[in-house]
Amino acid sequence: MLCALISNGIARPARRLALTSAPPPTAKAIPLAVPATPQIQPVIPPAPPVPKPDLPEIRKPRPQEAPKPNPVVPGNAFPLRPGQPIREISSREAAEAFQAGVPFLDARRTAEFELGRVRGAWSLPMWESTLEERLIEFEAKVNRPPEAALVLYCGGGSCEDSHLLASRLFQLGYRNLLIYRDGYPEWVAQGRPSTKGQVR
Amino acid sequence: MNSRRLLLHPWLRILCQLVLGGLFIAAAVPKLLDPPGFAKALWAYRLFPGWSLHPLALVVPWFEFLCGSALVLGLWKRAAAASIGALLLGFILALSINLARRHPVDCGCFSTQASNRSDAERLADMRWTILRDLGMLLLAAQILAASRPRKDL
Repeated sequence: MLCALISNGIARPARRLALTSAPPPTAKAIPLAVPATPQIQPVIPPAPPVPKPDLPEIRKPRPQEAPKPNPVVPGNAFPLRPGQPIREISSREAAEAFQAGVPFLDARRTAEFELGRVRGAWSLPMWESTLEERLIEFEAKVNRPPEAALVLYCGGGSCEDSHLLASRLFQLGYRNLLIYRDGYPEWVAQGRPSTKGQVR
Repeated sequence: MNSRRLLLHPWLRILCQLVLGGLFIAAAVPKLLDPPGFAKALWAYRLFPGWSLHPLALVVPWFEFLCGSALVLGLWKRAAAASIGALLLGFILALSINLARRHPVDCGCFSTQASNRSDAERLADMRWTILRDLGMLLLAAQILAASRPRKDL
């Protein structure tokens, strides 16, 4: 136990786990809308524990208001669909969202993010201890209303980190979360804009 | 020399200790170096409550490492072999439950990286992993049996 605590304490942030964790959110309460692709299960799995460091007031969840069907958000090409706060989008829709300037959130590990990512994407690694502080940074810098669209992606295939991140963002009050199911491998395969390098 | 004495021979026990201990050290190192990756692998099993994932991901690799080291060094052989046996039974149970419900998982045994294999390939790997764990369980049983205190002295 002592070895585990010491080694975790001296690990790099990307290799560190938060010691305190919260119980998983009630994922069943989160409606997930999916496009007409039969292989996708419309179920969000239970989320992993979310680290709870000492955080400033900014981390308070956004007030739970009734979703507005078509909010007027400048540049929002993906208006909120009532009853669909989280939905999966196709590769084409992801490209459209990119063109429209919708922020992309990368749920993969930092090492994967640094090897390659959607150009301009934010790193929000679901399993690392830095998630909460990066969420704070994202909210402070982007400052989008909860009904504005956000695109989430991870490694495609069986990767579910983007779904877990969607659960976390839903908890924080975001209500227009678009999951790019095919993820980064497909984005690269399509020759779309990507970049690499260290986390900003 | 009859087969029983051969199976419990001290040299065979030492070989089992080195093999089993080495395997457990090799399994522990990637997890020690990447606890978030191991937490994710544990989560994929859908067996552990959310609050337990981080503590398990931090403690289990160290437990594996210390037990493996004890076997290699020949210290507390019986306790280490029994602990490893208990761990192996837990791994077999976790894999079997997921195999029974056809839920493919990456084992997370010797690596914390998620693979890009298909579901069918993962399910096949899970069967092989159970067989491998059963083999390691036999090694642990040999160490326990061969290092049993003699009553006839």
